[in-house]
Amino acid sequence: MAVTKLSNSGIKTGVLKYDSMLAGNAPFDPAATWLIQRVNGTGSSGVITFSNIPQTYQHLQIRFIAKNSTTTSVADHLYLQANGLTTSTYYSHFMYGSGTAAFAGNFMTQPQVTIRDAIYRSNATYPNMFGVGIIDIHDYTNTSKLKTVRAFTGRDGNGDGVVTLSSGVYPATSAITSLTLSSATGNFTTTTSFALYGFKG
Amino acid sequence: MANTYVLIASNTLSSSAASVTFSSIPSTYTDLVLRYSIRTDFAGLNIAQARVTFNGTTSGYSRTILNGDGAAASSGRATSQANFEPEEGSPSASNTANTFGTTEIYIPNYLVSANKAYGSFAVGENNTTTPVYLSARAALWQNTSAITSITLTANTGNFVSGCAFFLYGIKKN
Amino acid sequence: MIVLPDTSTEVAIATTTLSSAASTITFSSIPSTYTDLRIVLTGTSSSGSPFIRFNSDTGTNYSYTVLRGDGTSASSSRESTLDKIWLSFGAGPSAGNPDFFTVDVFSYAGSTNKTCLTTSSMNHNGTDEEVARNVGLWRSTSAITTITLSRNVGNFNTGTTATLYGIL
Repeated sequence: MAVTKLSNSGIKTGVLKYDSMLAGNAPFDPAATWLIQRVNGTGSSGVITFSNIPQTYQHLQIRFIAKNSTTTSVADHLYLQANGLTTSTYYSHFMYGSGTAAFAGNFMTQPQVTIRDAIYRSNATYPNMFGVGIIDIHDYTNTSKLKTVRAFTGRDGNGDGVVTLSSGVYPATSAITSLTLSSATGNFTTTTSFALYGFKG
Repeated sequence: MANTYVLIASNTLSSSAASVTFSSIPSTYTDLVLRYSIRTDFAGLNIAQARVTFNGTTSGYSRTILNGDGAAASSGRATSQANFEPEEGSPSASNTANTFGTTEIYIPNYLVSANKAYGSFAVGENNTTTPVYLSARAALWQNTSAITSITLTANTGNFVSGCAFFLYGIKKN
Repeated sequence: MIVLPDTSTEVAIATTTLSSAASTITFSSIPSTYTDLRIVLTGTSSSGSPFIRFNSDTGTNYSYTVLRGDGTSASSSRESTLDKIWLSFGAGPSAGNPDFFTVDVFSYAGSTNKTCLTTSSMNHNGTDEEVARNVGLWRSTSAITTITLSRNVGNFNTGTTATLYGIL
């Protein structure tokens, strides 16, 4: 068996030295956006719930693609409730393009934030067509703020459609620990998907 | 691989302040995203705005506006301005307590040696039947400097305690 | 052993910065590993209007509904059975003043028709400008593997940047 002598000078020979603990590496920037949970429609429920939402982010964002099982008429509103609050104390506002004109309006004293006309129904005229959207909630853990909801949604059916900007308020200062999204009618199809993301702050 | 969407800096006010500044913005990103919630202490309903300036410059800003006020949609513009205002009117002192407006501003190519195009979407809510504003804006800063700082100044009064500002960087590769 | 956290939800897939003017920017071989895609396009142009196509489909399989402000009035319009989805809806380019567009494509690798949300930010300090929010549809159940950004006339100028992001 060979014997190797380790000397002070021998160990130091060829060793790179750095003035920074990074040792020549780029600093690590932790990611600011994270997928918390994805929930798909089951075909047997018009409700999707995100529960036990971690309190470790600053903002929440929901991205969705949605269709429901109702076969008559065209589309439905998307409802959003927080922390199981169902009293008629939510307010919502919207601005939308119908394809022929621009409109604005509101939903007052409702049991949910109402995001207008965001879900396609399973009308045979609009096969395999969906409403989509991005919903943002800032500072969802802050217990000194009512929670403002901001949304950009739309649906197009090749001759039908609506594009909408919406706002709403969850009228409580409680930190949001659960969010419920529901269709005004019918059940979400199995091709419906809602994803909840957290933004670090 | 470096992460694409990164928090650069944040500032949550523990007391009222007239302005907030993000300075020494690193040049290691491609785009910037500002997300914030505001309310001001000036008497009035839905009058709060954040006046945004880059690099301390007070010229070269313009915007095209699409507003909804709960009853009607409208459009307008402002040219050759001293700052960019993303909001038509977020909550202020006469709004329902604890209501805040939220805004997102997306600034692509903030380092490019060319004029800067960017966009925003802002909403305010009041938790009552009074009208509030939604506003989408297209904006231009006619300045070829890289953006190294961003200042948000309350249009009237001060941003109240609890206003929170977050600057994110996005890398394209 | 140090275990680093997962990469972020939003990942840059590809980017192009034009070194010379071009009428088309293409993202091809798009991986199917994400849920949604986002395209960010900014730069100046010589003339015309930008549009987007998927999988090189030039058939009349596209449509859109738009909400728009032109600096004077808010309006909405729609077109159906088109061969493209427009990214701007009336405003034209302005020399020296860039425009900025985003496109979010939902469930791009799934077997549903493909719906996208687009934003248009075209401000030129007072002339020929718009802010728009649009929903577009590509009537195809194929997974998106190619995205083409083009102009009906003219070019994207040198320096135009287009970046494709995947969102988990």
